[in-house]
Amino acid sequence: MMKALMLTILFAATMFAQQLVELKQPKSNKVVIKLRFANGSISDPQGKQGLTAATANLITQGGTKDMTYSEIQDKIYPWAAGYYAQVDKQVTTFTFMVHVDFLDQFYPILKGLMLTPSFADADFRRVMKNQQNYVDQVIRASSDEEYSKKALEDLLFRGTNYQHKVQGTSESVKSITLDDIKLQYANAFTKNNLTIGIAGNYSDAFLKLLKSDMAMLSDKKFAAPAPGKANTPDGVQVEIIAKDNAFGSAIFTGTPLAITRSSKEFAALMVANSYLGEHRKSYGQLYQKIRETRSMNYGDYSYVEWYNNGGGAMLPPSGVPRSSNYFALWIRPVQIAKQLKTQYKELADIKIGHAHFALRMAIREVDNIINKGLSKEDFEATRTFLRSYIKLYVQTPNEQLGYLMDSKFYGRKDFISEVGKELSKLTAKDVNAAVKKYWRTNNMFVTIVTDRSEADELAKSLKENTPSPMAYSEAVKAGLPKEVLAEDDIVATYKLNVKNVTIVDSKDTFK
Amino acid sequence: MKTMLMIVAVLLVATVWNGALSAQNKILPYPINQKQLANGLNVVTVQFDSPGLAAFFIVERVGSRNEVEEGVTGFAHFFEHMMFRGTDKYPRDKYNDVLKSIGAGANANTSLDRTIYHMTGDATKLETMFEIEADRFMNLNYTEHDFKTEAGAVKGEYTKNNASPYAQLEENLVNTAFDKHTYKHTTMGFLKDIIDMPNQYKYSLEFFNRYYRPEYATIVVVGDAKPEQVNALAEKYFGMWKHGTYVSTVAPEPKQDSARYTHLQNGSIPPYLSLNFKTPAYSDVDINVPAIDVLNAVLFSETSPLYKKLVLEEQKVRSLSGDMMFTRDPYLSSVEASFIKKEDMQYVKDEIMKAIEEFKKNGTTEKNLADTKSRMKYSYAMSIDNPSGIANSLSTFITLIGDPESLNRMYAMYDKVTVDDLKAAAAKYFVPSGLTVATISADAQGGVK
Repeated sequence: MMKALMLTILFAATMFAQQLVELKQPKSNKVVIKLRFANGSISDPQGKQGLTAATANLITQGGTKDMTYSEIQDKIYPWAAGYYAQVDKQVTTFTFMVHVDFLDQFYPILKGLMLTPSFADADFRRVMKNQQNYVDQVIRASSDEEYSKKALEDLLFRGTNYQHKVQGTSESVKSITLDDIKLQYANAFTKNNLTIGIAGNYSDAFLKLLKSDMAMLSDKKFAAPAPGKANTPDGVQVEIIAKDNAFGSAIFTGTPLAITRSSKEFAALMVANSYLGEHRKSYGQLYQKIRETRSMNYGDYSYVEWYNNGGGAMLPPSGVPRSSNYFALWIRPVQIAKQLKTQYKELADIKIGHAHFALRMAIREVDNIINKGLSKEDFEATRTFLRSYIKLYVQTPNEQLGYLMDSKFYGRKDFISEVGKELSKLTAKDVNAAVKKYWRTNNMFVTIVTDRSEADELAKSLKENTPSPMAYSEAVKAGLPKEVLAEDDIVATYKLNVKNVTIVDSKDTFK
Repeated sequence: MKTMLMIVAVLLVATVWNGALSAQNKILPYPINQKQLANGLNVVTVQFDSPGLAAFFIVERVGSRNEVEEGVTGFAHFFEHMMFRGTDKYPRDKYNDVLKSIGAGANANTSLDRTIYHMTGDATKLETMFEIEADRFMNLNYTEHDFKTEAGAVKGEYTKNNASPYAQLEENLVNTAFDKHTYKHTTMGFLKDIIDMPNQYKYSLEFFNRYYRPEYATIVVVGDAKPEQVNALAEKYFGMWKHGTYVSTVAPEPKQDSARYTHLQNGSIPPYLSLNFKTPAYSDVDINVPAIDVLNAVLFSETSPLYKKLVLEEQKVRSLSGDMMFTRDPYLSSVEASFIKKEDMQYVKDEIMKAIEEFKKNGTTEKNLADTKSRMKYSYAMSIDNPSGIANSLSTFITLIGDPESLNRMYAMYDKVTVDDLKAAAAKYFVPSGLTVATISADAQGGVK
């Protein structure tokens, strides 16, 4: 479908150590340039967590030796040109987008930002205030779902360079100085760990210039440290994060996953995952059981790789390739006892809301797939869906280029077209074998962000494996089919291998 | 024929993009084909070079604006959920199976003035898309139990959103800014009405009967599809859809006569201030509408003197922006600021009002105006690089006045805006008597006068 859009895909080693990903689109009205450095937050020095992000942000929110930040903004304003940095665990990507009418005028700014950033003190103070605010407040207060996801990574990767948020921690961000940033720029943003990506309507001469200029980046030999691997917990380890005025319980679970997109078995897990819980789709088993049949929340999904900005994105964004992987379940906020009691008089006596039941139900669905596998029909339907759906990941030049660059990270040329072929060759047997080999539910981390009023009873219920019958309002319960109620009875006592439950105050997370 | 069309398309694109953008007559460089069926349903097709890919949208001109009766706020959005609950021919599971077999990205969303149902996927499956959508738009059939169950998912959505203090403030803001008009409540609705939703089954049938009618709907197809093909499919699958009788009337908002205030006590996020001015309904003939849009950019964007002072130099404010939402009835244009310290909120509010008053007297330079217009056009031109993006932008204008060509007319209006227009719009609309101040801080009172 997208073949005609991907007019030219070239992979070439340049005269330098730079890598290149090219996607010429002569009919396009713009040029997208992505400069990707193999560093990421795992390259933050000990005690300076958040330094790579601070460096990238100061480059994009600062000036050059010739122009202040404000002068740059004035200059590019009428062109609607734009640029931003995205920092993830293992890579930092600078993306520049400009209309072809202004490419030549815009280019000196790109060059200045990358080669001669001003690193001005006033810009530094501004950028760091916002980064500090993110780690102190934003992560805890704007979305309980995102909070539980980041808290899950904090548990999964504890003690490794994958643990901390890309933005760092409250303590570490305070310790970052302008000199640290200058040093990180010289050490970790070099011509030797750079991949140049370019898409759109550009000339060969332009690309030549870009390549030769980027060869003037620092020539230090930077090698990012080996990425930390996810810890395998002993049993199910639950962390409940208690905060004031939470309206529901936001749940994430995760367990190590040995393979990534680079593996030929990944396509099989994509099928199983799509069947279990395709992101923002109503077809998944989790969604069907938890939301559609029981209306417990807004949605329930599963993941076989990191999905950036799941609350906002409908399709998986590029730019976050990772070699340390985990299998995750996302249960969107479910009701807590405090709210249910006030909303329905028939629920006046409940002690906990829906979190324990929802978690049991989700894990049981995974167990069902591990134990029974997908039927041939479900396999065929899901595979058919995916073969078409993955093409939607690359609808824009920006995402086409991003996906090609991510492909390179995973040792592939073009993941979307390759995995399409791999999907076409799969059998239900392959999928069910991969699930048995890679998915586990007996050892997993669970994070639940919830209201303070819910925490103690929920912890007790989880720890003691207490039956947790679903607390329906009468209005819903009255019309539920018998088989749903019968399944509820099984779920209510479904044994989870919970070994430990801790309650952490929101202010004490990410320490 | 197809080859010829492709060549024409290529030439067209080349002509457009090799010339200066400002010389172009229409902002959308592709023809908008429209055909109205006998039952009133409008069908819009835009051919776009995305081989094998098409976006299929249905824009229903019903949103939370239409929630005129007491106790049913949030209903347009709730109904969007119900539209996925199936028909006799395609019960929920079967509908899902068909969607899955198409492999499309499909979903829906609701706002103040409209509900959009969208699918993007394999253009060769267009007929299937038409068939299943026509079926549910005409023959939706759900049980009372399904209705009650779905209400829980809506409450789940409210629960998710409510974690954000900004969402909580938004609810207070519109409730304060409006007295009579249905913009008084958010699209999500009031929590008390959401909790009561399971009891509104009968009203839901009435809602479907009123609004899910051809005169409220427009079909939009963008991508690898020809207008003749789209029109024929529309006729085949939607031609028998019966015109309705309901005419929606929304109470007008009385004129506001003094500043209003609302505050949320929450110390967990940075202090926040928004100044919300009553502004006119969307129109592509009222120069005030594009003027206010341009004004927001001139006064509050990153290149404005105020931004430079507050964000870059004094660093009292983390972010500053101004934005007007295009709506069918008069709504709000908002200036938003996020703070380092709550003690600076009054100072910043005064600085914003001072900048507005100075603008009313002195305006801005011709160059600044020209730069802003250029930015708007190039920004749009670069954004239309995929079928869904184009379908979305057309949907905005279909929502507002029922005609996608209004997109081209509006961008032509931007070209006509003068500095005097900006000054006049500021003088008319950016006034304290039309203002609602919304704040978040750790204090019990907002304290901003």
